[in-house]
Amino acid sequence: MNRYEKAAAAAVVLMLAAGAAIFLYAPTDALQGPVQRIFYLHVSAAITAYGCFAVVLVGGAIYLRNGSFVADRFARAGALVGLVFTTVTLVMGMLWAKPIWGTYWTWDARLTSTLVLWIIYAGYLLVRRLAEPGRQAARFAAVVGIFGFIDVPIVHFSVTWWQTQHPGPIIVNDALPPEMLATFFLTMACTLVLAAVMVVIRYRIETLADGAVQAVSERAPIVSAREPEAEPVN
Amino acid sequence: MSIIVANGLTQWFGPEVALEFVDLAIDSGEHVAVLGENGAGKTTLLRILATAARPTSGRLQIMGLDALKERRRLRQRIGYVAHNPGLYPALSAAENLEFFCTLQGVSRTCAAETLDAVGLGSVANRPAGLLSRGMQQRLAIGRAILHNPKLLVLDEPDASLGSDAADLLATVMAERTVVFATHDHALANRLCQRTLILRHGRSVGTATRLHVVR
Amino acid sequence: MTNSFAVALAVARKDLRAEWRTRELVPALAQFVILALVIANFGFQIDARNAPSIAPGILWLALVFAGLVAFGRAFAAEREQASLEALLMTPASPVAIFAGKALAATLLLVGCEAVLLPALTLFFGTPLSVQVVAAVLVATIGMASLGCLFAAMVARVRARELLLPLLTLPLWIPFIVAGGQAVQVAMGASGSYDQAMALLVDFDILFVVLTSLAARFVLDE
Repeated sequence: MNRYEKAAAAAVVLMLAAGAAIFLYAPTDALQGPVQRIFYLHVSAAITAYGCFAVVLVGGAIYLRNGSFVADRFARAGALVGLVFTTVTLVMGMLWAKPIWGTYWTWDARLTSTLVLWIIYAGYLLVRRLAEPGRQAARFAAVVGIFGFIDVPIVHFSVTWWQTQHPGPIIVNDALPPEMLATFFLTMACTLVLAAVMVVIRYRIETLADGAVQAVSERAPIVSAREPEAEPVN
Repeated sequence: MSIIVANGLTQWFGPEVALEFVDLAIDSGEHVAVLGENGAGKTTLLRILATAARPTSGRLQIMGLDALKERRRLRQRIGYVAHNPGLYPALSAAENLEFFCTLQGVSRTCAAETLDAVGLGSVANRPAGLLSRGMQQRLAIGRAILHNPKLLVLDEPDASLGSDAADLLATVMAERTVVFATHDHALANRLCQRTLILRHGRSVGTATRLHVVR
Repeated sequence: MTNSFAVALAVARKDLRAEWRTRELVPALAQFVILALVIANFGFQIDARNAPSIAPGILWLALVFAGLVAFGRAFAAEREQASLEALLMTPASPVAIFAGKALAATLLLVGCEAVLLPALTLFFGTPLSVQVVAAVLVATIGMASLGCLFAAMVARVRARELLLPLLTLPLWIPFIVAGGQAVQVAMGASGSYDQAMALLVDFDILFVVLTSLAARFVLDE
């Protein structure tokens, strides 16, 4: 096994450990029942998704600053992994919402901003694909990533503010007993490790893909490209 | 004195190579023609020399400055006529040039003088969209010389000009260093001392008084 | 070195003059918003009772889609692309060029709003107060600069009709939330108008600064 495979295996083992904690160690919630166990992975995925976006932000900013393609590749990797975790967050959120609130979706601040996050990631990846590959794609995507990163908390804030103008029922109860808290932190840590491994592997894939593209088009340079005199034909 | 010194200019667009390891040296006052089939890389090369595009790799010095770092400074001394003139059709010929006078930071009287220089004095107030293709080309050329650049980069400027293309271009090119792309070998011979031939993105040679291209 | 202020004004004037001579965009936008209002009437079954609560939403809906149409066309023409390159070949700074285009775009959108707001009042009887107009105008500034930035970006890219809304709408959401609230309050709902306006101004400042900083990466290589 090479080191990537080892890292991946370790991450999977960690996630299994977290899963064990979620189902065997954490107590059942009195109000919501077993469904509440979704919370651990759901919130971990959400935080991880936003963390990946931070990678996209930093990678993009560094790329714009000094043109480093290493930074750009990390940004690409972060975006893809982040999109995966955002999707997980949304799906788990919907699965959790239905039995608890009776509806799959509600336009509260968290769900709304997570949806916006998903849309921005999708836009980021689409821009990468549709723009001229290489510098232009990296540049445009970096701008999208930076604007998107700033936008998500602003959207969250706007929706929260709007709700203060239109008070409604408060939905989420945040008080957690210590066993639940411990399980949450464990799951959080394992999820972050999983995401980090995924980003590093994806980075490796991007590096290889970039290299392959350049190797395909590399041909032997002409021996002398300077000023060989052609025969004037006249 | 060298106006342009280029080493190993290479341009990739993803997996496609447009230019490969092109070397070039052009001295002050020289007129150089770039020839090659469509798709050989002429436009790509010219865009790089005009600082309108950045090469994927390679070094480029223009007028003693590193062209990849000092683009804004160099653009004051470079005039570029692109493949697509990009004029504003709703504005008159004079308004087009006056607008660019403001952008170039030169006095607006240059607009009228330049219009006369390219032979468009009589249609100064006609909307650019209503000018013939040849006149639009002249306007684009006028726009490129508004600020009296030292280096002129022209991408197929003769494509729509009529039979007096050679005269107009000769006037415009006088006292400047010029690189221009064309398909017209006779014109290249008449106006330029040197030619560079591109094929599939590579320079296959330069020649004085070129002729033959298979 | 060219004066950036003069450059921005010249670019804005050139864009507005071109629009004035061709009269293509603003009439198209005006027609679009009127049709949107007509359809809204049938879609929402609007009457005197529900008009004040639905009308603000329709206003922003119509404005957002009109904005997308406008920016879809702003940088779209290939000719426009070549012109943009010619602009960048001058010593003028990309930020000044961007500022000029954003200014022109703002004014063109205002032209569209000059039709939208009276039509809204005419069709649905909602009040057309200074407060409503102010909210819409302030929001337009920020929305226009964002629209301009991403229009410039997608102009060089394939599938731009797909990409422009995807990139722009998430960034317009804060404006729609705050602007929607401001207009609702101005039309009689509860809540704070001043807070909403303060938010709009903050968003304007934030995004005008950000787009100006990003302009050189999007316009030039």
